[in-house]
Order: sequence, then structure tokens, then C-alpha cells
Amino acid sequence: MNLSAAGSQAQESSYARHAVRALETAALLLIIAFIALPIFWLAITAVKPQEKAYSTTLIFSPTLVNFEIIFSDDSVTINEGTNRERGEVGRNMFPNVINSVIVSGATILIAIPLATLAAYAFSRYQFLGNSVLLIWILTTQFIPAIVVAIPFFTLFRTVEVFDRPLLGSQLGLIIVNMSIVLPYAIWMIKGFVDALPGEIEEAAFVDGCNDFQILFYISLPLIRPGVLVASVFAFIMSWNEFLFALIIGREMRTMQVALMTTSGARGIMWEQMAAAGLVVMVPIFFLAMFIRKNVVDGLTMGAVK
Amino acid sequence: MRKKRWVPWVLVAPALLIIVLTTIYPLVVALYFSFHKYKLRKPPQFAITIGEGGLHIDWSLLSLDNYALAISDSRFINSLQVTFWFTVISVALSVIIGLFIAVVVQKGGRLHTLTKVLLIFPFAVSPALKGYSWRFMLNENYGIYDLLIDQLIVAPANAVLSVINALPLAQIPLISESIVWLGDKFWALFMLAMSETWGWAPLIALMFVGALGSIDEQIYEAARIDGANRLQIFFRVTLPLLRPVILIVTMLKTIFSLKMFDQVVTMTGGGPVRATQTINYYIHQIGFVRSLDIGYASAMSYILVIILTICAALYVSLVLNRD
Repeated sequence: MNLSAAGSQAQESSYARHAVRALETAALLLIIAFIALPIFWLAITAVKPQEKAYSTTLIFSPTLVNFEIIFSDDSVTINEGTNRERGEVGRNMFPNVINSVIVSGATILIAIPLATLAAYAFSRYQFLGNSVLLIWILTTQFIPAIVVAIPFFTLFRTVEVFDRPLLGSQLGLIIVNMSIVLPYAIWMIKGFVDALPGEIEEAAFVDGCNDFQILFYISLPLIRPGVLVASVFAFIMSWNEFLFALIIGREMRTMQVALMTTSGARGIMWEQMAAAGLVVMVPIFFLAMFIRKNVVDGLTMGAVK
Repeated sequence: MRKKRWVPWVLVAPALLIIVLTTIYPLVVALYFSFHKYKLRKPPQFAITIGEGGLHIDWSLLSLDNYALAISDSRFINSLQVTFWFTVISVALSVIIGLFIAVVVQKGGRLHTLTKVLLIFPFAVSPALKGYSWRFMLNENYGIYDLLIDQLIVAPANAVLSVINALPLAQIPLISESIVWLGDKFWALFMLAMSETWGWAPLIALMFVGALGSIDEQIYEAARIDGANRLQIFFRVTLPLLRPVILIVTMLKTIFSLKMFDQVVTMTGGGPVRATQTINYYIHQIGFVRSLDIGYASAMSYILVIILTICAALYVSLVLNRD
């Protein structure tokens, strides 16, 4: 390369750098719009009065009437008429929120302690077939949910607990949720145990602690933050779960399924759907921000690092 | 270090038992169902019964009829095709857009950091809600996407086309501004894939950001000294180094796409005219909505299991070979 060519290249690259930076900013803004628009639009629609919801206008006076409708047994007055007169059934979604909370909460309360013990064993012990078992657990996430749902549907139709059929019950849904939550939780927590240096446990062993004393007094307190992250991840998974909720949960209806009840005589009431959607989404939003750094590890079971 | 052999088994046993009960049990039972005539409307006759003489097997009740039915059922074949195209489009778009986002976002800078934080947002939106919100936004009368596509893509494209048409070269028909996105067979499937891409591309970007960050800066430096430009560096250095991660992510997303269900229910309802009926959706229709044919639904879901098993084997070998 001779000198003059090098000079012109340097000059060119200074222009090029500006152009690249401008392009980059444009690309970033495009990405932000791509990601944020659906969420922004949902939020906007949820606080729009009904007559403005079916348009793309941004000029309206915000109202909470949509939330009032989805959380009330009684009719709510919207512009002159009540929602019942207008053919919109006000359905109280509060029980559905409770269903979602109970199902997701109970799912993690059962899954996380069991997953923690298993993850600890997989991380700290060599036992017959442990790596094969671990890979097998990894592959269970590829079992389509529908294949799990069919036999449990027929089983739960005939099984009653406390005189109530398991089909359409919170307990039934909690049981099938285990099939998706447990494998993820085990892999996720195992990652946290793996990252914990073994020296402390060694020292405790030398001091005469037995396996369980080490586990409960030394290791568990140290991996508590990781267990918390896995719990949040598992909560989000079962909160957002839809197929089991539809087939096994049925009339019990978690919030995901209750979204479908926003369709009335005149099709889907979008402003109500948006309000219900915000109720479903906002809590998960904060939880997702809390485990932001661990979502990738969770989703891929640590395969992408 | 520690000697008691039974300890790990005690720790693993409860979780393992529940996983076996909630995955192996249904896999076995669904396989068993798939060989039977079993509709929900009448009590099924199972081949294996436990009577006075112990276990009794009535072989005449077992058949491959449900599998034969699947092969000849044009709607099932349709669902395979729909799932195939949905998977191809959604995986390709998610990985390519994810890679694009990752490369743009990777560098430091305030806007970069803000975007990185935003990447987690679609994860918080449940697939069912995603389907509804996209359906709303694509509405041909009041949807924001419909408006934006018409204003930002169709209108400028038509402006260019009318200039071309003004020249005595060729007459190109203008693009319609009144496409009903979810009423058109191609666009409905494409938009279903786009909604999936919206949810996954940012997450895949996050996966790539991690992988990009682990590439040694000196490699780029060396390439720059050798006179490589940005595009060359991306295609000759970055891409080959990312290859293992790209393969794993592609395989993982393929598996998730093959299981597509939630958004079909809330966004398109399988329509128009079965154009978006994925395998999972069709199985659900047969088993729980229309003919309530559990035997046939089980057989079809087993075909899905076989497809996914192949993908899972590929995925596991990719993951294991990486280390």
C-alpha cells in the first residue's frame, strides 16, 4: 500500500465513520420501535375510552373504566349506557387473577425445593448415570405439551380430590405444570451451584459436618440468590403457560385463558382485552427485569454461554 | 470427598419421580391410546385389562388405524406443511433479526444500553397475549400496524412504482393498501411468524450479545490491521466464530417453533381456511374441540414427538460437541 492511498483511505474512513454512526443510531431507534410498539400500544389502548379504542388516534382523555369493567360484577356506566345494555358482559376477572397466582405460586413452592435438592446432587456428586440423567432432563423440554395434556386430561376426568374432579382444578394444573417447570429449574439452579467454589464445603467436611449439614447450613444459604432467580423464572413460565391452562385448567381459567373471555356479542372488546393484558403483563414485567441477566441461561438451560 | 453413595439418590429422587410421572407416564399412555379407537363421547375399550385371570390382552383392539388415518388426512398433511413454513419463516427471521440487533447493540453507548434493557421486554408478554395484541394491531380498519405498513411501506413503494409507470417502460400494478392481513392465507401465516419473531428475536439477540462479548478484541484488531473492512470482518471473522452458538440457537428455536400453539388460538384461530393450523392446533381441535377423538389426537401427537425427538437429538449433539 503506498502513502497516498493510505491517506485517502484514512480520510474516507472518517466520513465512513460518521455515516456508520448515523446508520447505527437509526438502526437502534428502529429496534426500539420494533420492540416497544406492541407494548406501548397495549398500554395506550387499555386506558382509552371505548369510542377511541377502535382507532389509531393518540388524542384522548385517559380513563380507568376498562379496568373497572373487567374487575366488576356489576354493570359499569360507559357514555350514557351501562356495559350490559350495550351487550358487553362485565366479567369479574379477579377470580382469574387469584387462580393464576395460586397455580403459579404453588407450582414454584413445590418445584423449587425439589429442583434445588436435585440440582445440588447433580452438581456436587458423581453417581451412576448422573450425566445421562441430566441430558435426559434436558430433553424433556422438547416433549410437546399436547402429548402430556392428552393422558392427563383423560386421567383427571375420572380422578377426584376432595370430591372435586382434578380436571378444571388448580391442583390438576399445578401437577401438569411440573412437567415444564422442574427440568428448567434443575438446570438453572445447577448452574448456580456449579459456580459456587467447593472449598467451603470441603472445609466444613473436614470439620466433621455430614452431607446434609453441609447442604442445609453451608451451600443452600450461599445459592439462595440463584434459587430466587430460578423461582422467578419458573413463576413466569407457569404464569404465561397457555396450553395446559386451556386443556387441563378449563373452566377454572387462569388469566391467560380469561383473556379469551373479553370477546362479547360484538367480537373482541379490544379495550377490555388490553386492560386484562396489562394486568397479565405488568407484574411479569418487573419480575423479568429482576432476572434480566439470567433469562438467557434459563431459556437455553445454559447451552449458550 | 464424601462417601455416602445413597445421598445423591435421596436428593434426586423426589424431583426425578415427579418428572417421570409428568413426562414418561403421559408419553407411554399417549402411545397406548394411539393404537386404540378412543373417542371421548363413549367409554373406550382398552386392549389390556386386568381381570380374574390376571393381565389379559385383547390384540384385536389394537391397530395402526389412527396412524393410517393421519397419513391420508389432508388436514393433517396441511398442518405439517403449515408448521414447516411457519418454522422456516419464524426461525430465519428470529435468528437473522436477532443477529442484527446483537451486532448493533453490542457496543457501549447510552442508546445501546437502553436498547439492551428493552430486549427483555417481549419475554414478559405471554404468547397468548402476544397473539391478541398482534391481531388487534393488524386489524385492517383500526390497527396501528396496518396503518404503519400502509404509510411507511406500501405508499412509498407505490410512489416509486407510479414514477416507473410514468416512464414508457413497463406497467407495474400498484400494491393494494387494503390487504386484510389475517384474512389472507399467505399474510396470516407470515404475520403469525412475525409475532413469534417479535417475541424471540430480542431474546436471541441477548444470547448473541453474550457470545459476541466473549470474542477476543485482539482478533478484530488483527483483522483491521490486515485491512479488512466492517463487512469483511463481520462475514469472515464474527460469523465463523459465532457459528456454534448460531447453530444451537437455530435448533432450539426450531424446536420451539414446531410446538407453536398459543398464538394460533388467540391470533388467527387457525384461519383463514386452515392456513395457520399448526400441528399442535390441529391436534387440539381433533382431541378437544371437534371430533373429541383422543386416539387419533394421540397418534398425531406421537408423530410430532418423533419429529421433535430427531431435532432434540441434533440439539443435544450440538450442545455436547461444543464443550
